[in-house]
Amino acid sequence: MVLNCLYLAVFSILLLLAPIAPSIADSKVPANINCEIQKGPCNQTIDGRKVTLEVLPRPVKAMQDLTFKVSMDGQVADGQQPFIKLNMPAMDMGNNRVPLKLNDNGVYQGRGVIVRCRSGKRTWKATVVFPGIGSADFIFDVIY
Amino acid sequence: MSSTNTLILAYLLTGLTIGLGHCIGMCGPLVVSFSLSLKGRIFVPHLLYHCGRILTYTILGGILGATGSFAVFAANIAMIQKGAMLFAGVLIVVMGLAMSGWIPRTKIFSINYSPAGFIAKGFGKLSRSQSVIFYLPMGLILGLLPCGPVYTALLGVARAGMEAPSIYQGVLTGMALMFAFGLGTVPALVLVAKLAGMRWLKSRQRIYTIGAILMMGVGIYFIVSAIRY
Repeated sequence: MVLNCLYLAVFSILLLLAPIAPSIADSKVPANINCEIQKGPCNQTIDGRKVTLEVLPRPVKAMQDLTFKVSMDGQVADGQQPFIKLNMPAMDMGNNRVPLKLNDNGVYQGRGVIVRCRSGKRTWKATVVFPGIGSADFIFDVIY
Repeated sequence: MSSTNTLILAYLLTGLTIGLGHCIGMCGPLVVSFSLSLKGRIFVPHLLYHCGRILTYTILGGILGATGSFAVFAANIAMIQKGAMLFAGVLIVVMGLAMSGWIPRTKIFSINYSPAGFIAKGFGKLSRSQSVIFYLPMGLILGLLPCGPVYTALLGVARAGMEAPSIYQGVLTGMALMFAFGLGTVPALVLVAKLAGMRWLKSRQRIYTIGAILMMGVGIYFIVSAIRY
């Protein structure tokens, strides 16, 4: 009986400490976040061409409608409809795809939602895909 | 094949892949704890648990299919999910305590306690009961737990609902899609439950104790998650 309670107590303590464990681990491993989406647009390259991603409104929060804006240097062939795949680097959250359409300002735009993970992890990855050209990963933290 | 049927098949396949990856990691400990704590009969309880869970998903699919708006759903569901997580956590801890035998079942809640007689009697029955039907409402409640892949699936349902020619069609499509998704997640969790419930493991009393500890740990995890959510 006493031993069983001890097992449970140790397990519960480990469980309660679990939320801060990632923080401890992260301090030893370089962060792979490459985009400060909360501050403004981010840039990456696809096939040597600059691609810019902006998410509005800021601050970028999960579980609300978001507008994704993507622009790319150079011409993009007609019929090549780009899209964004939203997922978490650490966990598969399903097939969340944001289709993009060209607006009057020459920017590709679409609406989507970043869902919330029960684990509390906030790092998400937006993979911008231009079919036939390539893709770029934007990794950032969202607010829950 | 119509576009709706194609979408249903896609949701089924998505559930299968999500089940093998995400679900085993997040819900695996829960189903393992069920298996380890059930002495001998694991098929029916797990079947009832999954029926409850899939029924909740189906209902949520109908709601999203009708409203066509994930944002409205998200704005209204958070507190309900928090409550469901907290309630489920407490319930699972009580189940673990009852199944472990560490606390005499009649001491958990006296059936004569008032004024919360209804709730106390409910918990009293739970603590004494070995009835497997309990797993159906457990599945209904746990189907409400916050889950990223379920949210993602509901996003697609909301889009389908927006494009549906009528609310009625949106409801039906939403229910069908989420039913397919939920069904797809079942094989992986059943496999995990079956592996955990293998007879050669159950020959030792210690396994039942481990199952009870695991169940209480999972319940505590849900309670902590609910507080932090």
